[in-house]
Amino acid sequence: MKAALIMEDGSLFDGISVGVAGETIGEVVLNTAVTGYQEMMTDPANAGKILVLTYPLIGNYGVAKKFNESGRVWVSGLIIKEPSRIYSNWQAEGSFDDFLKREKVVAAADVDTRTLAITIRDKGQMLGMISTRSSDRDKLLKKLRQEKKNGRADFISAASTMKAAEIKGKPSGARIAVLDLGMPQSLIRQLKTLGCNITLLPYNTSAQAIRAMKPDGLIISSGPEGDAAIAKVVDEVKTLIGKVPMLGIGLGHEIIGLAIGAKLKKMKVGHHGVNYPVRGADSFKGEITVQNHSYVVDEASIPKKAGVNITLRNINDKTVEEMESRTSKFISAQYSPASPGFEEVNPLFCRFLKLCAPKNTRPRNSSANTETLKRKECLEYAKA
Amino acid sequence: MPKRKDIRKILMIGSGPIVIGQACEFDYSGSQACKALREEGYYTILVNSNPATIMTDPNMADVTYIEPLTVEAVTEIIRKERPDAILPTLGGQTGLNLAFFLMKEGILKKYGVESIGADVDAISRAEDRELFKKAMTEIGIGVPKSGIARSVEEGMKIGLGIGFPLILRPAYTLGGSGGSTAYNKEELETNLAKGLEISPVHQILVEQSVLGWKEIEFEVMRDCVDNVIMITSMENVDPMGIHTGDSVVVAPSQSLTAEEYAQFVNLSKKIIRKIGITGGGANIQFAQNPDNGHIVIIEVNPRLSRSSALASKATGFPIARVATKLAVGLTLPEVLNQVTGRTTAFFEPTVDYCVFKICRFTFEKFPGTQRILNTSMKAVGEAMSIGRNFKEALQKGIRSTETRRFGLGADGKDKITDAKLKNPSADLIAEIKEKIRVPNDDRLFYIRYGIMMGLSNDEIYELSRIDRWFIDNLREIVETEEGIKKHRNRHPENALKIPPEILLKAKKSGFSDVQLAFLLNSTEKNVRATRKKHNIKAVYKLVDTCGGEFKAEKPYYYSTYEKKSESEPSSNKKKVLILGGGPNRIGQGIEFDYCCCHASYALKEEGYESIMVNCNPETVSTDYDTSDKLYFEPLTVEDVMNIVDIEKPVGAIVQFGGQTPLNISGPLAKAGLHILGTSPESIDIAEDRKLFQHMLKKLKLIQPDNGTATSFEEAADVAKRIGYPVVVRPSFVLGGRAMEIVYDEKSLKDYMEKAVEASPERPILIDKFLEDAIEVDVDAIADGERCVIGGILEHIEEAGIHSGDSAMVLPPHTLGKDIIETIKKNTYAMAKELKVKGLMNVQYAVKNNIVYILEVNPRASRTVPFVSKAVAVPLAKLATKIMLGKTLKELGFAKEKEVECVAVKESVFPFVRFPGVDAVLGPEMKSTGEVMGIDSTFGMAYAKSQIAAGQKLPTKGNVFISVKNQDKRNVIFVAKKLADLGFKIFATSGTADALSSNDIEVKMLPKLGEGRPNIIDLIKDGKVDMIINTPAGKMTKEDETKIRSHAILYNVPLITTVSGAQASVNGIENLIKKPHMNVKSLQEYHKKIK
Repeated sequence: MKAALIMEDGSLFDGISVGVAGETIGEVVLNTAVTGYQEMMTDPANAGKILVLTYPLIGNYGVAKKFNESGRVWVSGLIIKEPSRIYSNWQAEGSFDDFLKREKVVAAADVDTRTLAITIRDKGQMLGMISTRSSDRDKLLKKLRQEKKNGRADFISAASTMKAAEIKGKPSGARIAVLDLGMPQSLIRQLKTLGCNITLLPYNTSAQAIRAMKPDGLIISSGPEGDAAIAKVVDEVKTLIGKVPMLGIGLGHEIIGLAIGAKLKKMKVGHHGVNYPVRGADSFKGEITVQNHSYVVDEASIPKKAGVNITLRNINDKTVEEMESRTSKFISAQYSPASPGFEEVNPLFCRFLKLCAPKNTRPRNSSANTETLKRKECLEYAKA
Repeated sequence: MPKRKDIRKILMIGSGPIVIGQACEFDYSGSQACKALREEGYYTILVNSNPATIMTDPNMADVTYIEPLTVEAVTEIIRKERPDAILPTLGGQTGLNLAFFLMKEGILKKYGVESIGADVDAISRAEDRELFKKAMTEIGIGVPKSGIARSVEEGMKIGLGIGFPLILRPAYTLGGSGGSTAYNKEELETNLAKGLEISPVHQILVEQSVLGWKEIEFEVMRDCVDNVIMITSMENVDPMGIHTGDSVVVAPSQSLTAEEYAQFVNLSKKIIRKIGITGGGANIQFAQNPDNGHIVIIEVNPRLSRSSALASKATGFPIARVATKLAVGLTLPEVLNQVTGRTTAFFEPTVDYCVFKICRFTFEKFPGTQRILNTSMKAVGEAMSIGRNFKEALQKGIRSTETRRFGLGADGKDKITDAKLKNPSADLIAEIKEKIRVPNDDRLFYIRYGIMMGLSNDEIYELSRIDRWFIDNLREIVETEEGIKKHRNRHPENALKIPPEILLKAKKSGFSDVQLAFLLNSTEKNVRATRKKHNIKAVYKLVDTCGGEFKAEKPYYYSTYEKKSESEPSSNKKKVLILGGGPNRIGQGIEFDYCCCHASYALKEEGYESIMVNCNPETVSTDYDTSDKLYFEPLTVEDVMNIVDIEKPVGAIVQFGGQTPLNISGPLAKAGLHILGTSPESIDIAEDRKLFQHMLKKLKLIQPDNGTATSFEEAADVAKRIGYPVVVRPSFVLGGRAMEIVYDEKSLKDYMEKAVEASPERPILIDKFLEDAIEVDVDAIADGERCVIGGILEHIEEAGIHSGDSAMVLPPHTLGKDIIETIKKNTYAMAKELKVKGLMNVQYAVKNNIVYILEVNPRASRTVPFVSKAVAVPLAKLATKIMLGKTLKELGFAKEKEVECVAVKESVFPFVRFPGVDAVLGPEMKSTGEVMGIDSTFGMAYAKSQIAAGQKLPTKGNVFISVKNQDKRNVIFVAKKLADLGFKIFATSGTADALSSNDIEVKMLPKLGEGRPNIIDLIKDGKVDMIINTPAGKMTKEDETKIRSHAILYNVPLITTVSGAQASVNGIENLIKKPHMNVKSLQEYHKKIK
């Protein structure tokens, strides 16, 4: 069966239907990562998007439950070049194709994804529709424009936990509340590794209720950008700033930005991949980060009185990737603080725990990414 | 952090001659490094013994030394140049080892030279097995379990503790000899006993075998402030057990999950930090158990490597350039990514295609060696291909190797027919299974047979341990093939019936038109026309380091079959296509890449757009900034014509890439591509026997008596007419393939029956062999009117040894003035007659003062870079300009240069890689690379060339001499001289008699098997410092082979010709006289050339 992708600018890409038949609409976003298809599709941050994977061979290592970032697939559609016919990995529990069918994903394969990527790069991210019913450009375009009007953007309410849920950690572990806007499992796992006692909170939990819990710290999780629920969350977070140590991740970072009075800017293409360089001002030392965002906090709009330090910027386009406020006790990261390896924790979480309980927490990994190392120190460090 | 200002002069060490395991990738990395250093304003001093490199071009570094890569020579250079720093990480293992010795011997400290990029501790941690194991254990990374045993009991205890299978490696044996695998207790016990006996120190390493595990590689870079980036992952299709240099490799890795990938990245970062690289790159090799994901580290190369060259070409990220900048203290965010022109080098390249690397082997050159692959590398070259899926990349890769295969079989060249596979006999099943199980260079094809025969993915996996994902991709290719076959034509000229969608699918899976023509019973032309009719055309996609995220500035393309092409041919510029040489092989290597690069430089200088087509990832020609445009494509008619179709160049240069482009130039010209330079008609005259003879007759030039034959009877008649010995060879071959000297009718019969297939179109060529003649090579350049000789090279070894293997000296040292004049006149005459426009190489033989013409090649020869460097004239560059219409006069090269120095070219051989093969020279070329020795006298230049080639000429000690009867008279002088110089002479009876009757003191040794100690014992005990052993005519005695192979194994200088012995003695005399080596830069030599 054929499948076609129509985009707002009228460009049409043919492919072959994989997953299930149907029609689906969403913002078409690229991701340049070579691996991680299952994680990307199940990350609520990608809810409602039509995800284009630029790496052409997908499904090679199959799927397994442990790679799910949430209980379901959140992308509205998927565009790939070539699905693998078989899967081969010791951890695999099933095939990618079965997964698409089971999760009822409308997807197109055999698409010239490279040309599609270049189209998006040149024209910017835009709305698109995958259809297995028609490949008539005019007809599809008309339908896309119609659908645009009644497009939905209320994924947070669906992705968030229905009611507060506790995840027990070590008795001595920090008590961390997570405002769940679509918190991915991989981030929760890192908190568990740190022994945190986690309380997942529904997105619409009131500031009052959160303060009443007296958590050591609050994480505003990542989640789908541009969602209808954001304004409401911002209102609650505003009253929490400076009252509870806070960590914003992804959308959570954007929410903190809005809460302190800054504005968001939508980027032409956004950052979607695993190879984004960031560093602090006047520092030669940086980090390669995982990123998945189409908006950024507009640096110029951050109010001076907020006492915010921009701790990391993207090296190429200089956008804000991490900020921190000592007075307001928050750190917020636009990038995703992915785990560096098995059972390991991104240093960002360690920094956050330090902020929560400065005296009794010893971060496992002391190489904070804002440190400027002098050459000599570095040589010594290397020898150590 | 800004670059370092406390250092100004930097010494760079190259990697020396091309050998198996170390090829032109280090010219690529060295050239990039030279450019990067000079870009940053550093004074660059380069040393390399290999003249065929771009990096030793006199404009690449500030000072260039073509000197042996020994501690002694480099110490002299350091003493003279006083560099502030040494960059040891860009010259392969040779460069690294040399720098390491310089550190260990305190020379760097003495002269205040700092090692940048990797210091002595970092190198030690990576190279020393014990330190490495300790370092890895400290950061919690597993290494294969192992222990050292000094007795069988100890070994049993270690082995049983680790578990089977086990690898046993006897300590201090050369080239990994004596190593074995034990699968059970019994084998362990016997192999331990054997191994302990072989080891001179009676030690054996008992190691956990990770045979059959996945082999995963990561390329990592780190700067001085601890920024670390991954360039790419690579997955070996062949599992552990095959040297990665011999493995089929794919990039990026295909079967790792995101989590596993992250873990590998994490480990790689920890490792590069622990090793302590503070400004450069490393290649890290892991093994992963496919059943449970368990990871162990195999090794770390703290330097640029073959893999990093591949990673560079696979991603577009210039690792060598960036590593160099990091070595001088810059940080990754400060280095610009030239490919995008707008981002920095601090990012991790991502790809949106699949890269495939496949090796080129030359087992056919070394009969007697087993055609199997193991942990000792045997490949002489490699090809890389890029596709949008694995299948496309694989099939393109196979045809890039130029083994006359056009994809994964189905090209009419399959050893086993479809019919046989449908109903396989028990023997055939066993054979196919065996070939899948035991790694060999044909394994991919045997997997195809296995699939066609009905083996399942699991069965093939169990045999080969190749990941099922790869096997299934091969299966998909086979299934597509079956689908194509259904539309087979009854008659080749009929119109094709294949539906366009199946045709498109085939092209997307990498099928070539040649395969399609074979499967459809049609012609390549017909397939091409049908494709074009259905608008199924190749499109070109960019390699841009970023998966399309940023606009790329550097036009680096590969073909695929999709909708949109990104290559936008410019219309306002005159364009010229340069066809490269493809993968390195014996007979066609870096020399031709050097010429292609020069063609590109010349085109740019003349205002043309240069478009390079090549598929060899090791080369400078496939670097992203060598040409205006680069197409990383196989060099077949189809692939080149696809480029011609869209680029429409004014012409193509085919005379620089060796035999590869010449082989396809005929069909390309027929298809309408203009061939620049010497006309195809002239090329024909030079290559066609009859036309050539006709020309020689016209010019009154002499050629050895000859004839052609298609059968033994005809051959015998010819041989009788011209008299034995004769040289026999097939037509149209490279590097003297299957060429032999035949002394009698019986051997001629053997040759005709076994060695070759002959046909009226491709007859066997028979020439009178001029015994003891002096061979001469001439490299000349002509503009259609005038011809100027670049250099005349006299071979050191007598006629009968392939010119690619022979040592040569420039200028000639024994030829008289009149002979040289005759050679010049002949060369001019032939150039004029052939209207040569560009380069020309002529091979002469001189005997009894008669100059015979052996061969004329109106194209670049192997010696062009050597001559260019010796006489300070960039011959290939000038030749390109001539092809574009310039004259020699306009180019300022109207008369021959006179050089004051003597330059010697010597070849290096891969015998140590092919145990059991006789290390003797003949008309079939066997060398992989070359070195140049340059000095003011022949003796010293020759000595330098020998040292550079790894023949450590002794200045005292014992020499063993054993020569054939004809050589006995000539060897007397050699032996006498050696004795006078204080050497002790050993010989076997025949030679000993001849020597002692000439008053030379000689100690007689028993023949092998007739008493001990014999020569083999002496070699083993390290009591022989040089061996002179000429083979006894055609028949090689078993004893001689044994002596020669032991010499190779124990690294004893071995000389197999009397002329070579004479030159060596001359060299030894010079070394004794002048114990301090004089070093002089190329620039200094060039100043004196008139």
